[in-house]
Order: sequence, then C-alpha cells, then structure tokens
Amino acid sequence: MASHPVTAIIAKDLRLFLRDRFYAFITLLGLGFYVLVFWLLPAAAEPAIPIGLHLPGGEDLLAEALAEEADQGLEVVVFTSRSDLEAAVLAGDEVLAGLDFPAGFLPAVASGRPTTARVLLTGEAPAALHDALSAVVVEVAVAVAGQDPPVTFPEVEELVLGVDRADQVLSWREQLRPLLLLIVLLVEMFALASLVATEIAQRTITAILATPARVRDVLAAKTLLGTALAFSQAVLLAAVTATFTRQAALLLVVLLLGAVLVTGFGLVAGSLGQDFIAIVFWSMVFFVPLVIPAFAMLFPGTPALWIRALPTYGLAETLVRVTGYGEGWAEVWPLLALLAAWGVAAFLLGAGVLGRRVVRV
Amino acid sequence: MARRAVRGQGQVACAWGCGGVHTAGMSPDGEVALRASGLRYAYGDRVAVDGVSFKLAPGEVLGLLGPNGAGKSTTIKMLIGLLPPQAGSIEVLGMAMSQHRSAIQARLGVVFEEKNLYPTLSGRENLAFFARLFGRRDVDLDGLLDRVGLATRGRDRVSGYSKGMRQRLTVARALLNRPDVLVLDEPTDGLDPVSARSIRGLIREEAERGVAVLLTTHDMYEADGLSDRVAFIDQGRILALDTPERLKLRHGQRTVRVRRQVDGAVEESVVTLDGDAGDRLRELVAAEGLLTIHTEEATLEDVFVAFAGRRLE
Ligand SMILES: Nc1ncnc2c1ncn2[C@@H]1O[C@H](COP(=O)(O)OP(=O)(O)OP(=O)(O)O)[C@@H](O)[C@H]1O
Ligand SMILES: [Mg+2]
Repeated sequence: MASHPVTAIIAKDLRLFLRDRFYAFITLLGLGFYVLVFWLLPAAAEPAIPIGLHLPGGEDLLAEALAEEADQGLEVVVFTSRSDLEAAVLAGDEVLAGLDFPAGFLPAVASGRPTTARVLLTGEAPAALHDALSAVVVEVAVAVAGQDPPVTFPEVEELVLGVDRADQVLSWREQLRPLLLLIVLLVEMFALASLVATEIAQRTITAILATPARVRDVLAAKTLLGTALAFSQAVLLAAVTATFTRQAALLLVVLLLGAVLVTGFGLVAGSLGQDFIAIVFWSMVFFVPLVIPAFAMLFPGTPALWIRALPTYGLAETLVRVTGYGEGWAEVWPLLALLAAWGVAAFLLGAGVLGRRVVRV
Repeated sequence: MARRAVRGQGQVACAWGCGGVHTAGMSPDGEVALRASGLRYAYGDRVAVDGVSFKLAPGEVLGLLGPNGAGKSTTIKMLIGLLPPQAGSIEVLGMAMSQHRSAIQARLGVVFEEKNLYPTLSGRENLAFFARLFGRRDVDLDGLLDRVGLATRGRDRVSGYSKGMRQRLTVARALLNRPDVLVLDEPTDGLDPVSARSIRGLIREEAERGVAVLLTTHDMYEADGLSDRVAFIDQGRILALDTPERLKLRHGQRTVRVRRQVDGAVEESVVTLDGDAGDRLRELVAAEGLLTIHTEEATLEDVFVAFAGRRLE
C-alpha cells in the first residue's frame, strides 16, 4: 500500500512525459543525432601531434631537421628551457610530447662522442610517436655530422610523464563517446526538471498532497522515473554505439550513478524554475558546468583542478577509462566512489529544494 | 458512523433554493465532523487567519463568506492538511490533523481555488490518477463524469475544456473517494447559471447523504440558499456565525416599499419595520391611494456589507 501513490505518480508522469512533444522531440532527435555523429566519425586515430623541442644553441639546425619530418605530421614548438618543456608536456595543451637535448649534444654528436637525448611523453601519447621522435634524434645527428652517419648514434632515453597509455590511442569515436553519453544524461535533466516544475506551477502538487500521498512519495516517484529515463536512454545509446564490448557490468553501474546524479540536479532545477523559461534557465545553469568535464576529456592530459571539482568529472573520467582504455573496477573505484558521493549530494540537494518548495503552497 | 441527513423530515433533495428549516449546526446527538479551534496562520508578517474556531456537523453545509483576502482559502488549506496551523488545532471525524493527516485526507474531498488539473491528460485520466492516489480502483469514473455533465467529454484532454468544464471536473475529483467531509473553495466559480445550479444540487445531495460540507463563495444568493449556517470572516476573524435567517433578522432590516397616488402624482416611500410588523403593515395597507406594497427582507449581502463595510462585486 505504501508504494501505491509512488507507482500511480510514476505512471502519470511517464504519460505526461510521452505526451510532451518538446521532450519527445528532443529525446528522439538527440539520440538519432548522437548515433549518426558517432558512426560518421573516423574509427581510426589520426594524430597530428604537436611536439616540443629543447636544443640549447641549435634552434636553427632543429628547424632544418624537422622540415624533413613534416610529412610525419609533427608540428614543432621550440622551448628555451628544459623545465618549460617538461611542464608543457605534462600540461598537454600545447604539445603532446617533447624532445630534450642536453647542452653538449651538438658538439658531442659532431665529434662522435656518446650522448643522450630525452624523449618526453605523456601517458596518452600514441606509440608511433615514440618511434617518430627517436627518428628525429637521428635526423638531428645526421644533420650535424653531415652526410656521413656519425660514428656513434646518440642514445635515446624515454621518459613517460603521467600514466603510461602509449599503446592506446583513442579514435575520435572513442573520444566522443563519453561526451555523447553525458549529454544524453544531461538532456534528461531538462525533462525531469520540466515535470517537477509544471507539477508545482499548475498546483497539481497541492491536489496530490491533499490525498493520502506524501511529499516523499512525490520525491520517490520523480527520482525513480528521472533515473530510469536517463539511465535507459544512456544504455540505449551505449548499446547502439557498441560500448558494451568490455566491462559491461561496470559501465552499467557508471551510467546508473550518472543517471542518479543528473536526476538530483533535475529536481533542483525543476523546483527552482516555475515556467518554461525559468526551467530552461536553471537547467542551463547546471548543464554548462556539468558538461565541461566531458569536453575536457577530449583533450589529453590531466584536467585542471577546477574541472576535477565539478560533479560530473568522476562520470566523464570513468567513462573514458572504461570505454576507452578498458579499465576495470580495481582501477576506477575511487572515481566511482567520487561519482556516487556527488550523486547522493545532488539527490539530497534536490530533495531539500523540492521539499521546501512544496511546503509553501 | 451512522449516515443520516440532518435536515428536517419530509424535505426532499432539491436542486436549489431549498430554503426551509435550517438546523442549528449540530446534529441532535452533537456529532462533529470537523472542529477548528483557534486557528492562526501568518505569511511572514501578514496575519491571514487569526483565531478561527467553528464546528461542522455531518450533513451540514457551512458557508464561509468574506471579502477577498479575508483568509478563507488559508483557513481551507489548514483544514485539508496542506498548511500546518501556527496555533490552534483541527479535528476531523474524531482524528487530530496533527497526528492522522493521511487518514483524514483519505476521507476528505477538496475543490481547490485554482483549477489544478493536468491539461495534457483527459478528464477521465485525471480522475483515474487521483483515484489511484486514494488507493481506489473501483470508482465508477463514467458515472462521476456524468454527474458533473462531462459524460461525453471525458476522453478529451483537459487543455480543450472550457473554464466551467474544468471547474466541474474538479468537483467530480472531490467526490472520487466518497468523502465524509467536503471542503470546497469557490466550487461554482466561473459556472453558468445552469451548471452552477447542478453543482449546488450535487452538493445538496451529498449533504443529504450525511456528508459535512464547508464551502466558500462570493455569491450571496448561493450562500443563502445552500448553507445551513454561514460564517462571516474578515481579516482572518469570524465576525458572525449563524443560520442565514437569523443573521438577516439580526443584522439586516426588514423594509416595506410603498407606492401611492397622491394628488395625481406617484409617491414612493420605504418604511423600516421593527418588532412585530403586523400593526404597521395593516396601517400601510389602509393608506389612501395605495398602488403597490412590497415587503423586503434583508439579504445576506446586506448582512455582509454590514460586517465587511464594503459591497461585493
Ligand atoms: N502564499 C501566500 N503568501 C503570502 N501571502 C499570502 C499567501 N496566500 C495568501 N496570502 C495572504 O493571506 C491573506 C488571506 O488570503 P486568502 O487567500 O486566504 O484569502 P481569501 O479569503 O481566500 O480571498 P479570496 O476571496 O480572494 O479568495 C491575504 O492577505 C493574502 O495576501
Ligand atoms: Mg480564496
């Protein structure tokens, strides 16, 4: 009997949702569009990779040597200090990899003395890059020594900064997948917000609360329906984009937690916005920061601290790691915990705001 | 609980203007369907309800009258368990609202001031949803739609209903759970005279079945014809509570409008009656050149104006 009002409200809301042409349209169009974009994108990785160079006293020579590497798709940024180069590689915005030559490199190569150049890579750099950079070192050595190969080839020392994902280049498709999943989840935030807001604006909530149904029934019904709508659409999109090929159970858990998270924010947005414009406004207020982590995932390197502080960071990062790199429970559990904590926080916030809103009827 | 109409023996359910004997507000054995004691509610600094107390007997219709902003709707929100009173208490069917809200609400039927329905659902779907909230799957929805004159429109979406049709649907909703107490905030607001009359008939029928009815209205004619007792409320306080008859006698004036032919011209005069009117009337009838004579009872509107000091629209 206790669950009775909850199922009644869910059935009613599902009917309202399906009759709302705007959200039906957005949902169908969105899903179709994402699937299309996904399959139109190239499946293979095409790196056009910027690399950083540090060669004290030999910048001109470098440019010459690198002109020959242009066909390899390398783009060069010259650094004047070793620490700048290292920082840039680690940050990953400007360059993806670095070549660091020691101060005595040129004379050493010219005179055939042994010397070592360092190749700096981050975890996300493709394996092919390592070979290409090693070739650059040899090119530089050849350029310095003239036509004859130097007696001693310089040693190449490889330094991986951050997590090593050298063999795992992500195609555009794979990079975009987490973004699409996150957007599908977030669009459902609008739909739920609209269901909640119209219930309050039309004062039907007072009619519900004048029956034996309680605020907690309304809250439970909206949360369950919102989560189910977001989750089912994300699962559908994931299935259509062939995402369940690895770590299916883990991925389901991630999407479920993500659905709970957006539902919480949907409750907040719906309780704050009382008409269509206000709903859109509040939903955007939450949408924009929540979608940023997914965009950040498109760029290599560790995102800035403020991005990691956003509620959906755990969701985006876990999606990338699980769908892109096939990581499992053992690797991503801290992120899952973070995501779950944000989910609980969003839900409590939503419940609190809705509760306060309906008390003043 | 014994179901019994409190109106006098031999009275039939009538659609309107039943008039006749009004009971004094309590059934003979003193049963109370609803009791409000010292209710108070303030929105911030604005006191909307300030010490409202009354009793409502099974089968009784109590009209709550008062100007806009008097505190009628706020009182009603407390009575139906939507607003917790800041002072005072509410007892419905022997249960305290503060402890048995859900149990009370299961036996209440409510018409809200706003016509709060789901526009994208049909009238029937609206009713079916609220029936489920009451845990009732056995409701004769079509019969109910028929009672409010929506039999042929039940499957249309409410967004296509006229204002009066929506109003009638909210009345049907209030009857879904066969309530013991009906609380109706302006149930005939926006209805044409025929629809309003049929809704009043419906309210009367429910009262005859023993349902206690509290209603608000701005139609004094309706309040007079429908209510066993009326309460005048202004600025959150009940100023008077009695049968319409006694209120009119006590607070209004009986007058006689006399038209006479005097020296070829028509002269009209209004005479106020007090005490035993018999002698005075005989005197007027005997007057020379009498053309017409009308006795006029005070109306509830006169009483209202006497209390509120302003005339209702
Ligand atoms: N939600 C609210 N917030 C703040 N003040 C309110 C609220 N609802 C009512 N009031 C105030 O409380 C007072 C009583 O309002 P209420 O709605 O109870 O009057 P009413 O008798 O039903 O009037 P009407 O005949 O116009 O329906 C008014 O002064 C009104 O402004
Ligand atoms: Mg009102």
